[in-house]
Amino acid sequence: MFVLPPPPRYPAPGHPGAPGTGPLIETNNTLTHPTGPQHQLVVGEGTYVLRDDLHLATPPAHPSEAPVHNPNPLATTISPPSVGTKLSLVIIAPRQSSYARLYKLDTTNSVRSPVPPSIQESPHESNSQASDAGSHSANGIAPTPLEGLHAPAFGEGNPLLSMVNGKESKDPLKRRKPKSNIVKSNSSFVSRVIPHEALSKRIAEHNPHGIYAFANVNRALQWLDMSSPIKEEHMTKILFTKAHALCHDINQSTKAANHIDIVMGFSTGDIIWYEPMSQKYVRINKNGVINGSAVSEVRWLPNSENLFLAAHMDGSLVVYDKEKEDALFVPEDQTPAAEVAPNERAQRKVSFAVKKSVNSKTQKTNPVAYWKVSNSKVNGFAFSPDCRHLAVVSENGTLQMMDFLKEQLLDVFPSYYGEATCVCWSPDGRYVVTGGQDDLVSIWSVEERMLVARCQGHNSWVTAVAFDPWRCDERNYRIGSVGEDCRLLLWDFNVGMLHRPRASSVRQRNSITSATLKMQRSRTESSVTRLRSNSNLTTASVGVDEDEVEVVHPLEPRARTAMLPPVMAKAVDEHPLRWLGFEEDCIMTSCEKGHIRTWDRPKEGASSEEGAPSMKSGSNS
Amino acid sequence: MTSFFSKFKPGTSPASPASSSLPAKKDPNAPQPTPLEKLLQDAGPLRADGTDKFFGFENFGSTCYCNSIIQCLYYSVPFREHVINFPTRSPPEALEKSPQSPLLRLNTDLLPISNGHNSALSPKGGRNSISSPGGASPRKPVTTPAATINAQGLKPEDNKDSPEYKKKMAMAAGPVLTMDYENANAYGMSESLFSALKDIFEAVIAHRSRIGVVSPHKLLEILRRDNEMFRTPMHQDAHEFLNILLNEVMENVEQFSKNRPLENGRADGDSKALTVTSGAVVPDRSSTVSDSIGWVHELFEGTLTSETRCLTCENTSQRDEAFLDLSVDLDQHSSVTSCLRKFSEEEMLCERNKFHCDKCGGLQEAEKRMKIKRLPRILALHLKRFKYTEDLQRLQKLFHRVVYPYYLRLFNTTDDAEDPDRLYELYAVVVHIGGGPYHGHYVSIIKTQDRGWLLFDDEMVEPVDKGYVKNFFGGENVLACAYVLFYQETTEEAMLKEQEAENAAAASQATEPHHEPVTVSPTKTNGVANGHPLHHPTTPAVEVDDQFSSLNHAATAPPIPADQHHTLENITTSIPILSPRKSNLQSKKEKAEKAKEDKEKKAAEKELEKQAKAKRKEMETQRRANSRKQEDDLKAAVEASKSSKVEEDKRRHDPTSEEHNEKNGHDKENGHGTFGKSSLSRFRHSSMSIRHKPKFWPSGKDKHESDPKEHDSPAMPGAEALNGTPSGTPDKPEKEKTKNRFSLGRKKSTFHL
Repeated sequence: MFVLPPPPRYPAPGHPGAPGTGPLIETNNTLTHPTGPQHQLVVGEGTYVLRDDLHLATPPAHPSEAPVHNPNPLATTISPPSVGTKLSLVIIAPRQSSYARLYKLDTTNSVRSPVPPSIQESPHESNSQASDAGSHSANGIAPTPLEGLHAPAFGEGNPLLSMVNGKESKDPLKRRKPKSNIVKSNSSFVSRVIPHEALSKRIAEHNPHGIYAFANVNRALQWLDMSSPIKEEHMTKILFTKAHALCHDINQSTKAANHIDIVMGFSTGDIIWYEPMSQKYVRINKNGVINGSAVSEVRWLPNSENLFLAAHMDGSLVVYDKEKEDALFVPEDQTPAAEVAPNERAQRKVSFAVKKSVNSKTQKTNPVAYWKVSNSKVNGFAFSPDCRHLAVVSENGTLQMMDFLKEQLLDVFPSYYGEATCVCWSPDGRYVVTGGQDDLVSIWSVEERMLVARCQGHNSWVTAVAFDPWRCDERNYRIGSVGEDCRLLLWDFNVGMLHRPRASSVRQRNSITSATLKMQRSRTESSVTRLRSNSNLTTASVGVDEDEVEVVHPLEPRARTAMLPPVMAKAVDEHPLRWLGFEEDCIMTSCEKGHIRTWDRPKEGASSEEGAPSMKSGSNS
Repeated sequence: MTSFFSKFKPGTSPASPASSSLPAKKDPNAPQPTPLEKLLQDAGPLRADGTDKFFGFENFGSTCYCNSIIQCLYYSVPFREHVINFPTRSPPEALEKSPQSPLLRLNTDLLPISNGHNSALSPKGGRNSISSPGGASPRKPVTTPAATINAQGLKPEDNKDSPEYKKKMAMAAGPVLTMDYENANAYGMSESLFSALKDIFEAVIAHRSRIGVVSPHKLLEILRRDNEMFRTPMHQDAHEFLNILLNEVMENVEQFSKNRPLENGRADGDSKALTVTSGAVVPDRSSTVSDSIGWVHELFEGTLTSETRCLTCENTSQRDEAFLDLSVDLDQHSSVTSCLRKFSEEEMLCERNKFHCDKCGGLQEAEKRMKIKRLPRILALHLKRFKYTEDLQRLQKLFHRVVYPYYLRLFNTTDDAEDPDRLYELYAVVVHIGGGPYHGHYVSIIKTQDRGWLLFDDEMVEPVDKGYVKNFFGGENVLACAYVLFYQETTEEAMLKEQEAENAAAASQATEPHHEPVTVSPTKTNGVANGHPLHHPTTPAVEVDDQFSSLNHAATAPPIPADQHHTLENITTSIPILSPRKSNLQSKKEKAEKAKEDKEKKAAEKELEKQAKAKRKEMETQRRANSRKQEDDLKAAVEASKSSKVEEDKRRHDPTSEEHNEKNGHDKENGHGTFGKSSLSRFRHSSMSIRHKPKFWPSGKDKHESDPKEHDSPAMPGAEALNGTPSGTPDKPEKEKTKNRFSLGRKKSTFHL
């Protein structure tokens, strides 16, 4: 059916002022199978072998904006924000979670689990566990259903919101689709839609246990079937006119064999809700009517069918309803006075403000809620597995921990220096991991509200971090990180080694600061209990919280912080990496230039047996 | 920042005298206020500290290395403060009076030759008369790529967005501060790079205009007089210049304070007389001087500790080294952080680099690492983009993508370092544009105190977006890459404050890259709790963003050199051997000439300087426990420097000639090896690079320093010059003598015709 033209070698697109920008003709994706020792990752548990390298074709520039060849390397033209290829993955079939196998121990008996580990995977990993989360209660935590499901839904207290939801949810089984057909659309926003010729056949033949992937490359978004024998052929390719999709997310709670809700954020600030099976879409925040700055991250609210959160580059977090109309946004001065109240203890001025609360009286239109978390660009955020908390990382180098249900800022942590670029939660919700321009992966304890360790090993900025849920248990965690240095690093840490002080001599010298640390610790002790009780209550504890608003944490000096070395470090691409994902059978990485690489996990057998005991011994030490 | 931006409206009537004088001219060539003028429209009263002065620097033909570095130094607040206050600030009346009576009294009084042009720097008439020398003729930087490759017959300056045009306009608009005089005597100092730098800084600060162009004649004159490697009109290495400048400044300052007691007695009458003529009052400087002589050290100097563990006897020896900047090796796809970490990584000294262990008494294998013990207040980071490649036998530019953050801390400190978590902020980037080390262009991008980031491209100064700084990480097909990074110490509080102020503006910039019909008014308004709608979807963001919108389309650099062949062909020359013999002959000749040149005074000064230099050199050598070889090198360098001056002067005669350039390129290649080493050795503070082994290790290896084959990397001391600037010397001595020592003045004078 297709006669593939030989793939041309593209010069790198994009750098401002660079000669030769981008291809001129539409081309096809290419799939290669590089082999050899340089394409293997050797870790304790065995060897990960590169399965294949899928190179997404960079689309040519839209004719309307033929690249202006500017030979001036000092040209001050501001190039649009662009990111490399990122992926959103979805597996249609409900699956048994990896945790059921890994959480062998009854964690309630464990001393070190004050917070019931919620096994629902962080949305960051875009996996399929969220929907069948109920099945996890088998792990013996509690007789109650999963904590995440028990958590109140966002905006539950607002009857206006629930009314809207209630009205429309008469047929809960039938998913609502967006209204416009993207193929027949005459919108100037969408340039072209290229469905695969046998699209319906391919959808029908799709293995429900296989991975669907959505990947952006330049101005294109491709829908790929990663389990298909012809996975290099896209299911659907959408070319946008000018806007680049910078981020996208799949709603794990609405997925079905005939339905996937995906939401994309664009460099123009627009957001598109797209349903690929029916090729329908809706454009939200059209022309930036609510917020005109680019969308750097977008995620569905956990367990919400309609609501998603978008991070705009001006430092705003906005909750949208996929089915609501846009309206010109006017900040409501409802609560800001209380929220911005200066904290005596904080040296850092907290700029968090609720511009529109979810409890607002006007909920007919978008936005549902609007928070200003900082004045600088938000680089990323992640929802906690317990569906209450939100970790936000920004260009100003902060990690902010929010209780998004209460629309409250809890903690502000500084990076060592430079921007904080990416964030994710441990599967049990106890740790948050960030990466940044300090070349470090930093591990933060949620319970103790402090920095736990810094991981040094990258040779450049860290661009994505993720936990490998299949290699985490209640004491051991596997973290992966990728960076501008084209390398994938894997880190193992276990609770036992974490709090080891590094140098006692140093401690004496900084006695003053360590005293304050102790104070802070003792204070956070109490907050731990408070947090814990919170998560068991529903909404009643608002009053308790008022006295302890945001805590701005001081920088941890390097001399007092535990440093963690990587267990594996390897260049896995020729280009700076942009995304990392762990799947049951593989690790996936993607890079700036559109290469998606899949690394098979070690084969079942001797090697994997080896790995498990070694982890155990590590935890005992 | 924020307040400034919000205040700014296109309609605002210009407040500053500078801008008010501009629109008055109805000249088809000078229609729109430049982005910089717009930026400064409501600047308010002039300040005495120089923070509101934004002067370009004239390019006399490949002097961009000097311009870019001086700009970086000027905008270092502590450095500028020290320069203008050492030994004392020039008479305060001069600065106070300046708004009324255009300063350059200093200028005119001291040096009548520099004529009425400068004294006429009055708001109305001055602009025309001043600019006439520069503006009338096409000021093409001679060796800028633009001039050499512009084959289409279209003059680059015809395009109004072109940097050539803008530079021309900047010169035409003026005022042009012709810094061809020197006030050294008024400072009670002898003429030196420092006094020339101080002259420039003071003139800029004292001038009533906020914008203008500086013609740094004197500084270059002195530089070229004392450093033969800068004498060619060829492309020079900006880092090398920085190093020389800092060393000289340090030396000048120290020498001054050393000589002062002596001089106070002797030259008291002298300086008084000068005081009278210059109309400047020289206050008692004894109070200020004594406690502040070490300020260059304080600002730029840090200490490296190198630890060497002998693998034979396990004995660890430590050695402290002072540095003024750090030269780091680059890896593809790395960060500055990682380059610095690599710098301090453990390293094996084996085979040819064996370590001479005092305990075992012999060359042994050893492990060595260098860590920072004392952190400098200003960290100058030199990215070693010019690497010697063995097989090509020449330097090559590395285009590696090396990212640098706006804020930095150092990982490679010793355990006992004070304040090991010191926070640095990036405040200046020197960018090298070009395909190789032997040609190209330097510009600097500098964060100013309250005007955000500005691009300084010779005569042109333009505001740029903060994100613009990130365009120079490097990478394939990127000709413009960061070459020297300046980080200055800062505090978290300052960082937070700035983030609050600056990010509002920066964030709004990110929102409008697409120029969609519907753009959103910037987020600055977000903070305003006046019920004003956050965004007007139907209002294009002209109002507040005006100053940026024009910026978006600015094309600010010369076109890329398309044709580099002639230079490349010549680069393959191998490194020649030292040729000291001709130096003696030449030096005699030169002395004779000097006498003729009616510069006895200067000669005497120079003699003094030389002596001091030698003295300092000795001390330095001692301190470093360096081999005597280096001293010899110094002498050789001095001799060589003298010898080549004549030819150099000659050769600069006609810098515009293409063929000549080519020849120079050739000459430079040969000369480079000859003098690279010797000129290097006069640096008391060299930049530290990890491969500097022989410098730190008195291992008796020095003899091979200048032989590139000895080294795995070009960053050897001897290769410092390789790594940096090729210095130019003709291989054939030219017999003809020239009277003019500086082609600059000459070039300029031709324009008068």
